[in-house]
Amino acid sequence: MHLRTNIVEIFSTFLQFEGDRFCSWVTDAKLRQSMQSCIQKIPQSASENFWPLYWYRIWQSQVKSFAREHLIAYLQESCYQASAKIVQTLRYSQYKLSDCFQIAIAQVDKVLKGFDPNQGFSMESYASAIFGSIIRDTLRQHHEIDICSDWGLLRKISQKRLVESLHASGLSADTIYAYLRAWHCFKTFYVPKPSQATRQLRRPDSQTWEAIAQAYKSQTHSQVDSQTLENWLLNSAKAVRRFVYPPVTSINVSTFEEEGREWLDNIPAAENSLLNDIIAQEEQQIRTQQLLEMKAILATTVTQLEPQAQEILQLYYKQGLTQQYIAKQLQIQQYTVSRRLTKARETLLRVLAQWSQEKLHISVTSDLLKSISTVMEEWLQSHFLGEGIGG
Amino acid sequence: MIAHPTLFTFTSGAGELILEIPTEQQIQAWLWSQYFSHPVSGYRAFLNKLCLSAILPWLEQNFAQAKPWTSTTALPSFWELVNGCAIVLDQMRLILVPGEEIDRGELRVPQEWVDIPSWSGDCYLAIQVEPDDNCVIIWGYCTHAQLQTYGIYDLSDRTYCLDAAEVIKDISTLALVKELVPKESIRSSVQPLPVLQRQQAQNLICCLQKPEIIAPRLEIPFPLWGALIEHGGWRQNLYQQRLGLLQQWSVWKWLESGVSELAQQWGWENLSLQLHTAGARSGEKIPPRTIVSRQLAIAGQLYELRIVPQSRSSHTNIWRFELRNATAKAAIPGGFKLRLLTEDLQPFPDNEDVATTTVELLFVEVACEPAEGVVWETEPLPENYDREILRL
Repeated sequence: MHLRTNIVEIFSTFLQFEGDRFCSWVTDAKLRQSMQSCIQKIPQSASENFWPLYWYRIWQSQVKSFAREHLIAYLQESCYQASAKIVQTLRYSQYKLSDCFQIAIAQVDKVLKGFDPNQGFSMESYASAIFGSIIRDTLRQHHEIDICSDWGLLRKISQKRLVESLHASGLSADTIYAYLRAWHCFKTFYVPKPSQATRQLRRPDSQTWEAIAQAYKSQTHSQVDSQTLENWLLNSAKAVRRFVYPPVTSINVSTFEEEGREWLDNIPAAENSLLNDIIAQEEQQIRTQQLLEMKAILATTVTQLEPQAQEILQLYYKQGLTQQYIAKQLQIQQYTVSRRLTKARETLLRVLAQWSQEKLHISVTSDLLKSISTVMEEWLQSHFLGEGIGG
Repeated sequence: MIAHPTLFTFTSGAGELILEIPTEQQIQAWLWSQYFSHPVSGYRAFLNKLCLSAILPWLEQNFAQAKPWTSTTALPSFWELVNGCAIVLDQMRLILVPGEEIDRGELRVPQEWVDIPSWSGDCYLAIQVEPDDNCVIIWGYCTHAQLQTYGIYDLSDRTYCLDAAEVIKDISTLALVKELVPKESIRSSVQPLPVLQRQQAQNLICCLQKPEIIAPRLEIPFPLWGALIEHGGWRQNLYQQRLGLLQQWSVWKWLESGVSELAQQWGWENLSLQLHTAGARSGEKIPPRTIVSRQLAIAGQLYELRIVPQSRSSHTNIWRFELRNATAKAAIPGGFKLRLLTEDLQPFPDNEDVATTTVELLFVEVACEPAEGVVWETEPLPENYDREILRL
C-alpha cells in the first residue's frame, strides 16, 4: 500500500481491495470537490494535522455535511494498519486483512464518539487503538459464538445484544417483547448442572419446557405452547448469529446517502470557520509537543521496568504474540502473563497520569484514565515496532 | 489445568485480565450452590463464588487486604436474593458483577448495589465467568458516578445498564482510580431509604419467603425492598425462611440444645462458666452455667461478646450482654461502646455502656419478652460486622 500524501486525497479517497490485497485509492468525486473548496477558503490551514480536527468539529456540531465521510476517508490508513497488525498475529485463521478492515471501518462511529480532542491525543493514534480493539473483540466474539450450541448461546448472550439482534431482523416491537419474556423464562428455568459444559448446552427436556411455558403464562397472562416458545428461542439464537456476522458490504465507496447533505459553502457554520480554524490550529500545536514529551516519558519508563516485564511487553507488542504464546516462550502460566502485563501497564499508566497531572494541570478523572489507556496501547505498539526497525 | 487455548488466542485487548479459578474451588462452588431455594439462585451463587475465588487472590496481591463484605459467611444470604458481591479494600469498595455473557455489550448492575447506601461501591467490575475454561475475565469496570450518569435504568429487572462504550476496558487503570481520582468524582450521592417498622418488615418477609417467588427483589417497591435487605438481620431472616430453615438465632435454643449450625459459622458457641459466688462456702459445688459467646475482631484486637441469661419467667427474660478482651486480664480501651437496639434499630433506655477510660468490662442488661429480637453493635464496629437479630 502506498500512503497518501496529498491533503485532498487524504480526505476524499478510499482503500480498494482486490481479493485480500490493497489495490488502489478510489476517489469520491463529491468529497474531492468538497475538500478542494474548503482548502480554497482556508488556505492558511494546509497542514494535514489541521483537517482531522476541523472535520471532527463540524461532525460534532451535527450540521449535515460530509464531515463523517471525510473522516472515514482520513482514517483509512489507521484502519488498514490496525488490521494488518492483527492479521500478522493470526496464524492459521480464516480472517483476511480485508475482513478485518471491513469489520473495523464499519464501526468507525465508535472512534468518532469516543474521541475527545481536549484530552490531548491525536485522532489517528486514538483511532488506531480503537480499530485494533474492535477487530480483536469482534473476532473473539465470532469465535465464542461459533463454539456455542444454540442453547448455550442463548444463556451467554447479553440482553442488549439480543434486543439489537431482534431489531435488526425486523421483528415488531410486540414480537420482540414476547421473545424477550420467553428468553427470560428460559434463563430462569434452564440452568446448567454440575460438570455440564455451558457452551454446548443441549435442548431443554420436556419438564423444563413445561416450567418455561408455565412461567411465561403467569408473567404475560397469555398462553403459548412450548413448541412455539422453542421456535421463538431458536429464532432468537439465529438472529444473534446473523447480527454478529453481518453480510460484509463495503461501506467505503459510493454508498453514502447523499440526501440531506449540503455543501459546506451553504452552511452558516462555515462563516465562523476562521475562528474555529485558529483555535483548532493552536490546540494542534500544543498537542503535538505534549505528545512528544509523553511518548519520551513512556519510552524511558519502559526501560526501567523489571526485565521480565519488558520481555513480556516486547513479545506482546512487538512480535504481536498472544498471551498463550508468550507463556510458552517464557515457560510461565498464561494467567501469570495476563497478570504481569496488567501490572506493567499499570506502572506505565501511573507515570503518564502523574505527568498529565503535574505538567498539564489536568485533574485525573476516570475518563482521562480511559483515554490515556487507549492511546498508550497505540504508543506501545509503535514504540516496540519502531525499536525493531531501528535495530 | 490448561485453559481453552483459543480463549487466549482471541483475547480482545491488553486491558483485560484473565484469572484462574482454582480447581478445588470449582467443586466447592458446586457444593455451595445446593443451599439455595431455586436452581437459578444456586447457579447465581455458583458463578459468584467462582468469581470471588479467582479475584480475591489477585486483589490481595495488588491491593493489600481484600475482604468480602460483610463476611464470607454472609454471602449466601446475598446471593439467594441478588447477583454480585462487595469487596472492601482499604479506602475502596469494589462491587464484583459476574455474568455469563460473552458479547460484553453492556454492564448490568443490580439496583441494590447502586442505590442502597451501605451497599453502594466505588467501582463496579464487569466479569465474564467461564466455568468451561476454569477462568474469569475482568473485561472492564466503571465508577458509581458513571453508572448514575450514563447508566440506563431498566425497570423490568431493576438494573443500571451501562453500554460497553462507557465501560473502562483497562483494568490496569483501577489502581490509579484508587490513588489519583478524587473520591467525589467516583461516587454520586445516594438517597437514604425509608425506615421500616418491625411489624412491616416481618410482614414483608412473610410474603417474600415463599420459594415459588423466584425473584423476591422484583416483588415489592424498591425503597421497601432496599430498606428490608439493608438490615443484615432481616436479610438473613428472609434467606433462612426461603430455605425453610427454622429459627436459627434463638438464644434459648442455643443454651438448651446447642448453637445452631448456621450461628456456629458466625462464630457463636456455648461456654460453660464456673461462677465464683461470693457467698459460696468452700467445698460447695455450684453447677456451671451455660452462656453463649462469640469472638469479635475490633481495631486489630480480639474481644469476646458474651450473652448471659440472668433470669427467666413466662413474660420477661433478663439478659446480660458483656464485652471483654479475649486475652485474660487485658482491657478494653477508652471510647469503646457496647450498644443494644430493638429489632428495628431503635434505642431504648440504658441500652449502652461506654468505656470512659480503660475498663475491664462493658455490659448492658436487658429485659425482654420471650422471643423478642435484639440487635447488638459496638463502637468501633468489629470486622465483618453484619447486623444479627438475636431472639432472647
